[in-house]
Amino acid sequence: MIRTENLTKVYNGKKAVDGLDLEVGEGEIFGFLGPNGAGKSTTILMLTGMIEPTGGRCLVDGIEVAKDPLKVKEIIGYLPEDVGFYGNMTGEQNLDYFARFYGMDAKKRKARIAELLELVHLDGVTQKAGEYSRGMKQRLGLAQALINDPIVLFLDEPTANLDPEGVREYRDLVERLAGEGKTVFVSSHILSEVRAVCRTVGLLANGKLVAQGTLDEVARTLAPSDGDVVRIVVETREHLPDIEDPEILAVERNGNRAVVRAKTDIRDRLTETLFSEGLHVREMRIEEPDIEDVFMAVYRR
Amino acid sequence: MALDRLLNVARKEFSDHITSRRFVIILALFLVISAVSIHDGIENYNNSLESYNEQLQRMEEFEDPYSSWMPEKPSIMYVFISMMSYMTALGGILALAIGFDLVSKEKESRSLKTLLSHPIYRDEIINGKVLGGVGALGFAMALSLAIAIAMLLIFSVVPTVDEFAAILVFGAASLGLLLAYFAIALTMSTVAKESGNALIYTLVIFAIVSSLLPMLGMMAADALAGDPPEAPEMGPMGKQVVGTASSGGYFVSTASQSVVYGGTEDPAWREYEEEMKTYIEKRRFINDISNLLSPQMNYYTVAMAVTNPRIALMISSYTDAGVQEEPGSLAEALGRVWMNIAALIVFPSVFFAATYVKFMRMDIR
Repeated sequence: MIRTENLTKVYNGKKAVDGLDLEVGEGEIFGFLGPNGAGKSTTILMLTGMIEPTGGRCLVDGIEVAKDPLKVKEIIGYLPEDVGFYGNMTGEQNLDYFARFYGMDAKKRKARIAELLELVHLDGVTQKAGEYSRGMKQRLGLAQALINDPIVLFLDEPTANLDPEGVREYRDLVERLAGEGKTVFVSSHILSEVRAVCRTVGLLANGKLVAQGTLDEVARTLAPSDGDVVRIVVETREHLPDIEDPEILAVERNGNRAVVRAKTDIRDRLTETLFSEGLHVREMRIEEPDIEDVFMAVYRR
Repeated sequence: MALDRLLNVARKEFSDHITSRRFVIILALFLVISAVSIHDGIENYNNSLESYNEQLQRMEEFEDPYSSWMPEKPSIMYVFISMMSYMTALGGILALAIGFDLVSKEKESRSLKTLLSHPIYRDEIINGKVLGGVGALGFAMALSLAIAIAMLLIFSVVPTVDEFAAILVFGAASLGLLLAYFAIALTMSTVAKESGNALIYTLVIFAIVSSLLPMLGMMAADALAGDPPEAPEMGPMGKQVVGTASSGGYFVSTASQSVVYGGTEDPAWREYEEEMKTYIEKRRFINDISNLLSPQMNYYTVAMAVTNPRIALMISSYTDAGVQEEPGSLAEALGRVWMNIAALIVFPSVFFAATYVKFMRMDIR
């Protein structure tokens, strides 16, 4: 549904996005992760036809964005970071103004706007958008992104201004939209947010895609290289004796707990050994790299 | 569909303008002053008309030694002369007020980014903004002229078809002036990142084109034309050359007629007159060229040609032969100031073009 090929954007001689190759399938909830300044928003601006790439191309539903931005805009919805509105107009008037660009007649507009305002809990709000709180603006932003019932939704830092209740409702909405077959592209620098809703992620750093896949896949890809070593965490009720096995490379002991570095997964053999020695095994697992640590390491690069 | 999108933007912009407090207050002030000044103008017109009728009556009652001389019937266009000065002041403020934050406010509130995420091209946005602004200023101008015409009718002053056409041309010239200032404000709004800076830039450009340029023009004329020729020692009494003089924002220059002295022409005096005429023409040419850059000066010139063609003819003539010429029809009067009309059109067009280019290349991150 979304594809970029060697997508590049240069600002004042500096590459904000550098040869990005990305693919997001239909109906996916894709998390676009990266620290501030990584190039996420620039990528979204190119994907939504608001700026032209310096090099490469991007396609949404098979349409090359730079060649036909209007056609792309007709099928997508976009919630910008720090979304802004016309302060002298109500939420309803703002939505009506945007809806007119889709050739919707007055009746259809009215019905759609009423539906969306109810969805984001802004129905019955008569104050002007200039008097809205940031959270209300964010919710109105979500409504304007959905005004044309898009098949692809781009959300840039969607929970930035929402309260916990708003965040929960946003997550439910994203799940529901994905359930309807829409592709949702969520850009965020907050891992926990992406983790909560996204099935696949792409990690961007310094304009380049560092990894793409499920969160676990990305975490494994990015984990500090330790060769093919398997890290096994062992904990027994009793004091842990010396463990010996030809596959073991090293053991980090700490009382009745140890982290065993081995050439292969020797958990079965290890369990048998400990059991034969009369020990009670409390824990025996492969240690996965900590996802937060892995991402933080990339963020710090 | 492209037209629909443009009209959608223009409709919203027009609606924003005419419902904004800023526009309503300035427009109300503009209309009140307009009404008061029209009222004064009508009183002056009625006085002139009364004086004209008295003169006619006197000519009929007595055997007038100047039977070939006929007093000129006052035109109702005199009523509009007073509108010129506050048009450049309040009208200018109105135009600047609606334009200076038209784009910068959208950048500040980030609504431009939201708008651009919907199916619309950038040129349609900027063209829609221009159209909405032109519509609002046109609305203000139409309202002002409608009040003026209504007041004329209330005071039983009925314009002829020619006078009505002249009123419309005056309105169009006034709108041209407002558009020039609106174009400056819109350009500055596109260039500046913040509305505060946009306002300052706008006021600076406004001061330059309305005051500094005409002053520089006069200085350039003085500098380039050199010193005026020296008059011969024995000049005939009562004969003198009138140099350039300014009054109310426009310039009058005229040279005396050739002098017949004792039945023969004085060659030294005649030579002096020719030199002075050339000098005045040169000064005048430099001044006129620099004034073309000032919408205010162009507006005065065109509006004078419409409201008081006789004075305008005197202004445009290098010799006082112009005083004796008949000003002719409205079309002829406008024909004499075609360069100023063209300048009134070109000036906002240049600024609108600059706005367009800047807006199309604007970074919207």
